[in-house]
Amino acid sequence: MVDIDINWITDSFGSMTPVLPMVLVIIGALLMPGIHLLFKRKDVTCAVSLAFVVLAAVFNILLLLGHYNGTYYDLFTYDAFSGLMILLFQVVAFIAILIAGPSSETTKLHVGAFYSLMLIATAGMAFVATASDLLLIFVGVEMVSIPSYAMVAMKKKDPRASEAAVKYVIIGGLSSGLTIYGISMLFGLTGTTNIADIAAALATQGYTAGLVIALATMIAGYGFKIAAAPFHMWAPDVYEGAATPVSLFLATGSKKMGLVVYIKVFFVMFVTIQAAQPFMTESIQYVFAILAAITMTVGNILAIVQGNVKRMLAYSSIAQAGYMLMAIAIMSEWAMTGTIYYMFAHVFMKGGAFVVVAALITAGVGENLKDYRGLAKRAPLLSAVMLLCVFSLAGIPPLAGFTAKFFLFSAAIVPGLGEPVSAQWVWLAFVAILNSAISLYYYAKIVKAMYIEKGESEEKIKVPVAFTIAAVLCVLGVIAMGVFPEPFLYYCSQAAAAIMP
Amino acid sequence: MFDEIFAEIPILMLLLVIPLIGAVATLFMGGERQKYAKYVAGAFSGVTLVLVILLMFVDNMALLSENYLWIDAANIRISFILEIDGLSLLMVLLTALLVFLVVVFSASESDRPNYFHTLIMIMELGLMGVYLSADYFLFYIMWEVTLIPMYFMISWYGGPRRHYSAIKFFIYTHVASLVMLIGIFAIVFQAAAINPGVIADFSFAAVNAASGSFGEVFQVLVFGLLFFGFAVKMPAVPFHTWLPDAHVEAPTGGSVLLAGVMLKMGSYGIIRVALNALPDGAIWWAEIILVVALISIVYGAYACIAQTDLKKMVAYSSINHMGMVMLGIAASLLYVKYAASPDPVIAQIGIEFAIFQMFAHGLVTAVLFMVCGFTGHALGTREIPLLGGLAGKLPAFATFMMIGFMASLGLPGLVGFWGEFGVIFSFYVAAEAMGQIWLIVFCLLSIMLNAGFYIWAMQRTLFGRETTKVDLSHVHDVSKAEGFALAVLCIVIALFGIWPDFALGYIETFVANFAMPGV
Repeated sequence: MVDIDINWITDSFGSMTPVLPMVLVIIGALLMPGIHLLFKRKDVTCAVSLAFVVLAAVFNILLLLGHYNGTYYDLFTYDAFSGLMILLFQVVAFIAILIAGPSSETTKLHVGAFYSLMLIATAGMAFVATASDLLLIFVGVEMVSIPSYAMVAMKKKDPRASEAAVKYVIIGGLSSGLTIYGISMLFGLTGTTNIADIAAALATQGYTAGLVIALATMIAGYGFKIAAAPFHMWAPDVYEGAATPVSLFLATGSKKMGLVVYIKVFFVMFVTIQAAQPFMTESIQYVFAILAAITMTVGNILAIVQGNVKRMLAYSSIAQAGYMLMAIAIMSEWAMTGTIYYMFAHVFMKGGAFVVVAALITAGVGENLKDYRGLAKRAPLLSAVMLLCVFSLAGIPPLAGFTAKFFLFSAAIVPGLGEPVSAQWVWLAFVAILNSAISLYYYAKIVKAMYIEKGESEEKIKVPVAFTIAAVLCVLGVIAMGVFPEPFLYYCSQAAAAIMP
Repeated sequence: MFDEIFAEIPILMLLLVIPLIGAVATLFMGGERQKYAKYVAGAFSGVTLVLVILLMFVDNMALLSENYLWIDAANIRISFILEIDGLSLLMVLLTALLVFLVVVFSASESDRPNYFHTLIMIMELGLMGVYLSADYFLFYIMWEVTLIPMYFMISWYGGPRRHYSAIKFFIYTHVASLVMLIGIFAIVFQAAAINPGVIADFSFAAVNAASGSFGEVFQVLVFGLLFFGFAVKMPAVPFHTWLPDAHVEAPTGGSVLLAGVMLKMGSYGIIRVALNALPDGAIWWAEIILVVALISIVYGAYACIAQTDLKKMVAYSSINHMGMVMLGIAASLLYVKYAASPDPVIAQIGIEFAIFQMFAHGLVTAVLFMVCGFTGHALGTREIPLLGGLAGKLPAFATFMMIGFMASLGLPGLVGFWGEFGVIFSFYVAAEAMGQIWLIVFCLLSIMLNAGFYIWAMQRTLFGRETTKVDLSHVHDVSKAEGFALAVLCIVIALFGIWPDFALGYIETFVANFAMPGV
């Protein structure tokens, strides 16, 4: 589409170019406590960390537009896929930092440390997106997890936050333990931690008891990270307990990172060996298909009974993770395109919903469904944003969620375009579509509370302008991805093509 | 005679853009200005109506096709194609006419009138889009666009149980749309697979070009999905339960549009999408369609007798009348399936009159719902047992009600007659081909029940001794605006009743190009 000359970047940074987006953010993270001590102003700290994210994003976008491909010591690979994923994490970080500034929930935190942690986590997610080695992925995931535990725990006045943090740390630690166990078994079986080399080794091996255990522990370990059922129990408590900007960051960012890991490890590995080991690939496909089906169903059904909007959004995130897992079950390029598209759409729609929740909490409105009654009169713009975001989450056209579901679910019916209809995954499409229908019920409850029921108060709600900016950005994303999908689809298909072996 | 003028301007796009501008304009008419919203909505819907009426005089509608490429990525092509033919034109005419008359009829709406009109204009946009689009993606989007305003229409302006009904309506029809979406996926991607090298193209033309090569099993399965999606919308028994609830709670304008135009989306979809793309599947399903249609007509009419709420009775009668549409479709399919050497002209009669019935029901049901709406707000109740002897007190109202009822039960000379007559005739031919002539009994039963409940309801509300259960001392007859809307409808009903050929002309040009399944 657009071609940009990026020689000046590659000339100046040389072999460091692939890690540029991370390095810039890490520099920011290291500077942040100092900047806070120097200026003692929360808004300055927020603005500076925002500036670092934007700077990194600008470089990243340039690299993406320049179709840059490069590796750094065979450990980090920058291609269309990692570039796009880094961009996604940067968008998440941008929105989260933007609203963390004025949010009443984060002003009592250790500001310098908070932004520093946020940036480190952003860098960690970018790490995962570029890494091509299991150990590096593990390090990247921990780089995200540990700051996340701290950020959840920071809101220490709220007992819910302390409980959430404890849960999060224990379950996170358990999942890390499981994962590293799996990785070490894989290393023992294949003698390498490089994903491509592992795939090459597995192509000649077939199933052994050790491999089954290794795969199972890794699926479970990373399953915790994305809150796939049945490893999802921590998510609602953590999202509810954490400050809303942090919940936003976790739900839209770190969950995507888990998916990226799944894609990098399982998708890439098993697509590679599909020809050599058809049975192995197919069994993994079914594992993920069942995981996806259970995750979306559990998430949606439990979301129905929630009275707290943050919890409801947490369960809906679980369900949405289920949709996105479909690509690993279907294992085709088109499905991957759909999932990448979905990941972006999810950032905007779920992000927008959390922005509204955060704005309302800052304005003194509660986070329960009954507090949302009559909001349409009190905060017309925020209500409209929420309306569009939840309709998009439910998959109502012409919004991003619909287009994304359209691309993704179509992949379950035809694995690749131009290929015949395949009966193999049609049941999965049915489950997914049925789930979309169920989800409409609880999304409609939010809309109903805001637009149809009468509230006790008629007073207008005032929120800081940063919330309005973030909310409008998200809605623009939701509408643009719904109405003009073509440019987005182009980059998503580029990214999907990049990870296909 | 307008061909040359219309060839120069994107007339079909205008039919979407004008309601859209109307919707945006009325949306921002808050505060003091909201009482002028009805004039704005009236102007925009009036212009749309005029354009549609002018369209009726175009000789070659194929020239009006407008094609804008929307998404043209590496492996997927989605166009913004608008096309019009005889079938679309009748539906578009119905939409434009009813929207304009609803705006007129609802002139006295005083609760947030600006939003009321915004919803109506968005609905007009969506309905126009459904009937004009020639791309499955666009078709689906427009299909869903109609849902949301109707949801808000019921839940903001509806009766006491409006929240329940609105959610029920939304969930039922949305689930049906999703099933339909799976069917659409299947046909589009199957078409792409049959033409190797062709990317997934969502246009009707691309699917129709490949539909001849669809396998039998595929057709049967996918037709089932599409048929379910459309049958819920129509609605056919046993998927009808959302309809009476939605109607009873919806405001009059909402009911008119819901029954008058939105239900037609279901039968329109069956004819335009399911029959066209999956002819063999349609033939396989013919008996099941027949059973659904017969149950719908008999059950719909039978349920009417039991109703005490006038509006609920009219709502159930919609199930009966839309069942007639489905019967026409089934008759065509069965004739082709069972006749020894099917005659294509005779085979088309069923579809032809099914379309006529769609159009007729749209006009007639609008009158009926307006009458019910008037009863509700003028007398404070729609309970038939509480009414009686209204003819003396409200002569104009009684006239309109009688015309509506008579048209609905199929009195010759009014539009309702031709639809039912044609459908039953075609069904007779089909039943004869099947050797099961006794099936016609169901139609006779439906006609008898129809006549019975309408006349009985009329006798209990309009005639006899004036009721004492309702205070009639302050009751006024229909207002000028209401009278205008009802009178226009009654004139149109009579016009098409006396001169059905006017509508049949458009239907015939459509059916002539329509590939009848199996012929």
